Amino acid sequence: MAQFSRADNSTLGRWWWTVDRWTLGCVGLLIGFGYVLMLAASPSVAARIGATRDMFIFKQVVFLSIAGVIVLATSMLTPKGVRRLALLGGIVALGLTAMTLVHGMEIKGARRWIALPMMSVQPSEFLKPCFAVVTGWLLAEGKRSRAFPGMLLSAGIFAVILLLLKSQPDIGMLSVITCVFMAQLFIGGLNMFFVGCGVAGMMAAFAGAYFAFAHVRSRVTRFLHPEQGDHYQIDTALQAFGNGGLLGRGPGEGRVKDLLPDAHADFVFAVAGEEFGMLVCLFIIGVFCFIVVRTLLKLLAEDDPFVVLATAGLVCGFGLQAFVNMASSLHLIPTKGMTLPFISYGGSSAMSVALTIGMVLALTRRRTQMSRFGDMPARRGRVTGRGAA
Amino acid sequence: MQGARPERPDPLTDHETVVSVTGRDLVQRAVMERMRVRLLVAAAGFGCLFGAVSFKLALATVLMPMAPAKRQIAPLVPQIPKISTDPHGLLADDVGLPVHRAAITDRNGQILAISLPMAAVFANPMELIDPADAADKLKKVLPKLDVAETIQRLSSKKQFVYIARDVTPEQELAINDLGIPGIYFEPGEKRHYPLGRTAAQILGAVDVDDHGVGGVERYFDKRLSSDKTPLRLSLDVRVQGVVREELEAARLHFKAIGACAIVMDVRTGEIISMVSLPDYDANLYNKASDDERFNRAVTGMYEPGSTFKLQTAAMVLEDGIAHVWDKFSTVPIHVGRFTISDMKSDHFAPWLAMPEALALSSNPAAAHMALDAGAKRQQDWLRNMGFFDRVPVELPEAARPLLPRLSNWGLSAVMTVAFGHGVAVPPLAIVRGTAATANGGILIKPTLLARPEQQTASDQADPSLAAGSASETKPLLQPVSDTKGLDGATPNNPDTDQDGGDAASSDNVVPQGKQVLSEKTSALLRRILRMVVAGPDEERTGKQAEIPGYFVGGKTGTAEKVGPNGTYLKHVNITAFTGILPLNAPRYAVYVMLDSPQAIPETHGWYTSGWNAVPTWRKIVARIAPMLGLFPVTTGADQIEASLTIPMSPPVPAGYRALGPGNDPGDPVKLAQQAKEQAARDKAAAKEAREAARATANPHTRSVDPHPVGGAVRQSVSYVRPSN
Repeated sequence: MAQFSRADNSTLGRWWWTVDRWTLGCVGLLIGFGYVLMLAASPSVAARIGATRDMFIFKQVVFLSIAGVIVLATSMLTPKGVRRLALLGGIVALGLTAMTLVHGMEIKGARRWIALPMMSVQPSEFLKPCFAVVTGWLLAEGKRSRAFPGMLLSAGIFAVILLLLKSQPDIGMLSVITCVFMAQLFIGGLNMFFVGCGVAGMMAAFAGAYFAFAHVRSRVTRFLHPEQGDHYQIDTALQAFGNGGLLGRGPGEGRVKDLLPDAHADFVFAVAGEEFGMLVCLFIIGVFCFIVVRTLLKLLAEDDPFVVLATAGLVCGFGLQAFVNMASSLHLIPTKGMTLPFISYGGSSAMSVALTIGMVLALTRRRTQMSRFGDMPARRGRVTGRGAA
Repeated sequence: MQGARPERPDPLTDHETVVSVTGRDLVQRAVMERMRVRLLVAAAGFGCLFGAVSFKLALATVLMPMAPAKRQIAPLVPQIPKISTDPHGLLADDVGLPVHRAAITDRNGQILAISLPMAAVFANPMELIDPADAADKLKKVLPKLDVAETIQRLSSKKQFVYIARDVTPEQELAINDLGIPGIYFEPGEKRHYPLGRTAAQILGAVDVDDHGVGGVERYFDKRLSSDKTPLRLSLDVRVQGVVREELEAARLHFKAIGACAIVMDVRTGEIISMVSLPDYDANLYNKASDDERFNRAVTGMYEPGSTFKLQTAAMVLEDGIAHVWDKFSTVPIHVGRFTISDMKSDHFAPWLAMPEALALSSNPAAAHMALDAGAKRQQDWLRNMGFFDRVPVELPEAARPLLPRLSNWGLSAVMTVAFGHGVAVPPLAIVRGTAATANGGILIKPTLLARPEQQTASDQADPSLAAGSASETKPLLQPVSDTKGLDGATPNNPDTDQDGGDAASSDNVVPQGKQVLSEKTSALLRRILRMVVAGPDEERTGKQAEIPGYFVGGKTGTAEKVGPNGTYLKHVNITAFTGILPLNAPRYAVYVMLDSPQAIPETHGWYTSGWNAVPTWRKIVARIAPMLGLFPVTTGADQIEASLTIPMSPPVPAGYRALGPGNDPGDPVKLAQQAKEQAARDKAAAKEAREAARATANPHTRSVDPHPVGGAVRQSVSYVRPSN
């Protein structure tokens, strides 16, 4: 793609020169890792989900290809387009999430999925990036005009989502969305007193979940007291890491994928640890960290509160999801079923993450900005006659 | 960019002048600055989170890795069987084989049963490249392989097919070297009996899952599969081999259909040898017939015949009912339709003293003894001697004896049981009873387990016992060398030890068990047993058992077998001899039994015990005694002989009125009078006899013994009995 000339003024050319190519490259890397690990885990996973191996690989190739296309397509949007997409998608996702309660497919005691011919869709996955963008917009609007009750509106939407996810129940998604919302409020400059209140509220909510949901309680208990209860999954995962060591057993030589039912999704990081070892895992962590931190730092140069808040929300969600997955596999936090972006198997997850990263890329594209000192040559060049004396 | 949203009011452009910096603008900038600080905080927070993950990753993989579970690394590191590299390990008791079931050895550590590592070969046809090629290659290693069938199996759409079982480690290695993908091994083991026929019925067998299905393998199944140290039996394979060889020779010589022999330590109950013929190769258990698997020593129920007279004599002597000088009538007894008499009664004096009655083996005399004692006392005696229960030995095959019902134990039952008819017990019970009469009166528990070595050492030399061995009133416990015998040189000759009175160097063992008769009675019985073999009477039944220098003694027994229709068969006998070696200091009870031996020219037409079982007993004892550390006495033999001799008609001491003519509570004439007076009781007795016959005869038709032996009192033919 390096053949795009700097002078190329076409849509594609302008996209190429304005998009964050480092982040884009990192996403490509992650998709590559996703393919490699899926090839490694495919025989056992195929046997487990009852598909042939070819079908399984084909599905993942299709999913990741679609994900790639979504990333590229979304990244071409303007911030306004992103906002519209998020609003529209958010409404649809909210509706579908509400529908899961009525027409949902029940898996392992939770109604989160809607069955489609090729795949089952988890609408709350799409709700997450959309809500982040919408919240960013509402908060930014609230800052622009004091008359606009942005904070109130976003809190109202959040309350609705909270209710829906609690009913499914999907405490993991709920926590991530809550964290993202809190992060956005924090970055949006919320008074530290309220930030403290928010943190306290989250803790209270967590305690509530601990007492309200048996499975949450059992997981936390098992995390806090390793000597109690059944640790088959986490022990197997940790043994896989130990088996991998510094350089790993080699591609396809791992065994954890045969032993853990969720090896292709929640515990894919353990598969990577066993087959490729610590160095490759560190590299994967580095890639995620790079995407998140680079994007956050890039926002320092951004003047539009909407872009800052929306992007920060999106990338926080992305980073948190990666963190929760990897930390669960490593027994750093109680086990929480959450996919590793781009690497875990699964259609909903890949597309939702692709949407997230696509929006991030779209929002962080280099734009001609107004001067801080009001000289605004770019604006003058684009928008004719308005406000110019 | 703001220009792209012209519809929105822009605070910078719409309400303020473009170039001026107002308070509102400053507020806006302050907001953005705060956001930037918060962004930095968030970035740092993520840095911390991912740093923590990295740290935990380093811990989990390199710094403090969790050891992988076996299932995680098992396929990566093939299991290498740990065969002891120490060549001496193979000679030691603990054979370092990677097997689960413990070996069985004889008392000297000779292996009788051992599990060898064997593998089963299986294949995953889905992984196989060329079934035909694989089958051809396998055929080179496994000559018995059916190639066509193997190809068919390897071509099936399965993930698991067996190819061969019981593959030796050598073959396993050879197959592994073929390098055929998709061929796997399943470790297993196979029970092997290196000595083949030796002690086959005792050892039993295991099934394909390594569970014991017979003999010691079954009785000690849990022990063998839980404790890997070899199970040490009391058997001595050398003795076992000799006994089997001599017994088989006798069985063929006398054309007997079966035979049985037992050698038991009378002090410890250890069974040194136990042979049942016909036998089979223990490795071919599944191909053996029922008759071959049948252990005559513990499962076979045979009427003991005259060997039971020893119990009758012991009973009356111990209970003080009769004395050794008392005389008993040999006149045939008529009870109802039955007659109890002797084959050689023509030659017998009408009244015989107890030693003579046993040496000549008179049925009426034994019947008289029992009549003097009565049914109740007889039952109590036999119960006390363990004849009413299964012999307590470590074999699941040990069966219950066949007895008349106690409610039917009438006069005729008393008389017939007195000389060993109407009851059927296993040979081991006879051996146990013989041991008790000779070892000082202790009823020991027969065992197939060797005594622990250290116990032997701790039991050494009780001076009182050694001193007592010179006296007739104390147990004659003979100090002899260890049972490893041959290398034990000769200083342990029983007589030199006895004379020296110092047994400190040998393993004196006090028999453990219930005292069933006094040492005094036991000493008397030992003399009587000696008279059966070495007495002055030419008609004595056991004279062919004599081995000079060993002071052996015993009791013969011949019992007619019961035919299929419940009547006794003429000329079809169970002949047996149960003896003690040596009588001056009893160590071993040796028993030989032949099932249906035939008369041959050599025996002058006789087929009774004295002509076949007794000489066989002598041949066996003459060969095994040196192995057991016993050697013929050369010095002081006369003295010992004198101590074992008793007059055939001992003089009556002053103050006693001996039983005999004119003083006979069991007088057949009186009996006849009583019978007349109480005709009803006679009828009842006949009925009892019939029922006794049914009770004991029927179970003998079990299929395992094709030549059943019965215990019925014969009803229709005249009661003439072989009386050896």
